Parts: sequence; C-alpha cells; structure tokens
Amino acid sequence: MIQIRNLHKSFGSLEVLKGIDLSLDKGKVLVIIGPSGSGKTTLLRCLNLLETPNAGSLSLGSSQLAFDGGRKPRKEEVLKLRQNTGMVFQSYNLFPHKTALENVMEAQIVVQKRGKDEARKRSLELLAKVGLSDKADVYPHQLSGGQQQRVGIARALATDPEVMLFDEPTSALDPELVGEVLKVMKELAAEGMTMVVVTHEMKFAAEAADTVVLMDGGVIIEQGPPRQVLNNPSGERAAQFLNLLTEKEL
Amino acid sequence: MDDRKIQILIDSFWPMLKAGLQFTIPLALISFVLGLVLAIVVALVRIWKVPVLNQIAGFYVWVIRGTPLLVQLFIIFFGLPTIGIEFDPFLAAVIAFTLNMGAYNSEIVRAAIQSISSGQWEAAYSLGMTRGQALRRIVLPQAARVSVPPLSNSFISLVKDTSLAYTVTVVEMFQVSRQIVATNYEPLLMYCEVAVIYLMFCTVLNALQNVMEKRLERFSTR
Ligand SMILES: Nc1ncnc2c1ncn2[C@@H]1O[C@H](COP(=O)(O)OP(=O)(O)OP(=O)(O)O)[C@@H](O)[C@H]1O
Ligand SMILES: [Mg+2]
Repeated sequence: MIQIRNLHKSFGSLEVLKGIDLSLDKGKVLVIIGPSGSGKTTLLRCLNLLETPNAGSLSLGSSQLAFDGGRKPRKEEVLKLRQNTGMVFQSYNLFPHKTALENVMEAQIVVQKRGKDEARKRSLELLAKVGLSDKADVYPHQLSGGQQQRVGIARALATDPEVMLFDEPTSALDPELVGEVLKVMKELAAEGMTMVVVTHEMKFAAEAADTVVLMDGGVIIEQGPPRQVLNNPSGERAAQFLNLLTEKEL
Repeated sequence: MDDRKIQILIDSFWPMLKAGLQFTIPLALISFVLGLVLAIVVALVRIWKVPVLNQIAGFYVWVIRGTPLLVQLFIIFFGLPTIGIEFDPFLAAVIAFTLNMGAYNSEIVRAAIQSISSGQWEAAYSLGMTRGQALRRIVLPQAARVSVPPLSNSFISLVKDTSLAYTVTVVEMFQVSRQIVATNYEPLLMYCEVAVIYLMFCTVLNALQNVMEKRLERFSTR
C-alpha cells in the first residue's frame, strides 16, 4: 500500500529526513516513535504532501510520485493523494465554525461532491462509529479534547481514504481521555484500515502495531515487529530512547 | 426656542433624511461592498505574494492611505476629465470611496486571514480541498468573524465621510442641509440637525454590528 524510497526533506539548510525507506502492506499498522525533532511529523506530512520531499519516491495506493531533482507533483496528483489519505492532528484542527456533523460532512460535499443527504447519512454513521451520535449538532468548543479528536478521526474517514495518518493523536489529551481515542483507533485497525501512527503510547504500539519504526536524527535506526523493537532493540541509541520512554510511563 | 425655529426644524427634517436614505446610505453601502471585494483580492495578493500584483497592491495601498480622501475625490472628479475621463458625480464618489475602502480594509482582511491558524488550512488540505476551497469554506468564514468589529468601524467612518461628496456636487444629506441653510440662514440649527441624523444612522449601524457579533459568537475561534 505504501512504498517510500530514499526520501529526503530539508527546510532550508536543515536536513530533516535523510533518506527514509519504508513499506507497509494493506491493512497493516505502522507505529513511528522517536525523540523530539527526529522528523516523525515531517515524514507523516510527506505522506500526504503537506510537505513536498526534496528527493526520493513515494507510492501510496495508486499514486506514484518521484521527487528527484526537485520535481514537484502536479496539483491533481496532490489532491488525489490527499483524498486517499486521512490525517488526524495532534491539536485536532477541527473547523470551529462548523458543528461536529458539518465537520464530517464538509469534505464529502466540497471535495467529493456528494449530495447533502448522502453526506449527512455517511457522517452520522461515522459519528456513531466513534461513539458521538449524540454530539452531531454540537460545536467543537463544546466538546472535550477526547471527543474533539474522535470527531477529527470521523472527519478524516469521511473521504473513505485507504490510509489513515495520525500525528500524536493523544498527546494533547488529559490522561483520562487518552483511552477513548486509542479504543477508536484499535477498532479501525481491527477492521483492516492501513494506518501510520506517530505516538508514544507504548501499550498501543505493542498491541496494535504490525511494525514499529524508531526514528532518530532523520533516519530510521530500528524497524521490526513491536516485540522485537520495543523489547530487544539492537542498537545502543534505541535502547537508550526506549528506557527513557518506559521511565516516563512508570 | 421659538415656534418659528421648531417649525424650521420639522420642515427640514424630512428633506435631509430623504437625501440620507437616497444618497448617503446607498453611496456608503455600494462603496463598502465593492471596496470589500477589492480588499479581499488585495489581501490575498499580498498574503500569497503573487508576483507583480503584490507590488501593484502594495503601491496602491501606500498611495491611498498616504493621501487625503478629499484630494483623491478631486483628482477623480475634477482632474481626470482634463484627460478625457469623465464620471457623473455619484459614480466619481463611488469610485473614490471604493478605492479608499479597498485600501484600508485590505489591511483588516489581511490581518484577519493571517490570524487563522495554519492548522485550519492544513486540515482542509489534508481532506483534499484546493486552496480556493479551503479559503472560501474554512478560512474566510472564520476571518469574517474576526473582522466584523474593525470592518463595522470602517463602514461607520465611511457613512460620515460621504459628506465629502458634496464637494463633487452629489446632493447627499450634508449638501441638502447646506442648501436649506442658504434659504433660511439658520446654520447652527440646520447643521446640528443634520449632525443628529448622522448620529441616528451611526447608532443604528452600531446596533446592527452588535447583533452581527452576537450571531457570529455561536462558535468560538479559540
Ligand atoms: N516548516 C518547518 N520549517 C523549518 N523547520 C522545520 C519545519 N518543520 C519542522 N522543522 C524542523 O524539523 C525537525 C524535525 O521536526 P518534526 O516536527 O518532524 O519532528 P518530530 O519528530 O515530529 O518531533 P516532535 O516529537 O517534537 O513532534 C525539527 O528540528 C524542526 O524544528
Ligand atoms: Mg511531531
């Protein structure tokens, strides 16, 4: 489903991604962990072209993109890729002037040109799926963080993407609200959604991930099934970082 | 106050108010709406740094904000005819006020658009929206809410500034009051009366502004 080869991204003279190679099969869950500033968010944003890589190639679903020589994808290619991916943001980024239902309907109407009734029906299904049927007509500021993030997930699902991208979806949440969001994500994974998740929730990584990737300084330093990466990392640096994480959780 | 003066006040009230409703308000409204469209275009050109247009827009805002409105009005109505470009008085006033509103309001609109967090654009893009769709559906509605108070102030100033249009022979409200003074020689009374009518207009507009702000408060922009 996803193939990344030798992906590079720089901001000015700062090289943030220094050649990333990754692949992910359909229906699998990839969890990305790593210290702050290691390039996790940048990598995720390259997957839906919120950032344009400087070199390398990306294939996702039926999109095939090469960036070598500073090549920029065409506008239609960008829009097609973005419709085929859903993104969930750390800070939710719900549209504050729209109700929960309208947030979920928006892209269906504007991007997919579905009729209002059809969009509403699909949106209500998605809100039910994330357990928020009773909040359809409520504005985001009237919702708790956990509820907002669940609307964020429903909104991202609304264009029926093949891949879902999550950037630390629970790290802005109070601890008691983390569970409700992770539960929705686990259900999605169980239904066979292809997911790329940046998170430091080790329990989620251990239970839901098929592959865990550890990034440091713009490269992947460890990659494999969760049991291997989380419990028996091969490198020194990886072991250090994982120790830090486990200490924080205790 | 004697009966004669009261009678004068009553007699002149309707002609003034009528000129206000017929010319002052339409002049302000038309110029404001056209000016707002211009302001949004200028704001976007500057935010997106569109080559060439950005420089033109910057020059336009600089000139309009750095010169008196009255002088702009005179250039358009008295100056341009000498090179063969002629407008009737009302149109000349609309052009001058539109250009003025466009320049001042572009700064308001620009600040409002830039106050919307980049996360809103990104959320819209991540759903597959184009820049135009993100602007129209997501960013402008939120920017509109932010800019209601400053734009209302701008409109209220404009309503008062339309009195300058008398200099290019538009028979707006202030011009009518001047004409009445010429017949009854009561400048204090007449100018105070027209001032009160301006005050009424602005009070109503203020109330409308409050209603609008209340309605837009349904959601908070965090
Ligand atoms: N738009 C940008 N312009 C310039 N530098 C950027 C930009 N976005 C990210 N960076 C830099 O790139 C590096 C990697 O950032 P990134 O957000 O990908 O890290 P991260 O692994 O997600 O970190 P965190 O765990 O703190 O979210 C950082 O040094 C950051 O300052
Ligand atoms: Mg990050």
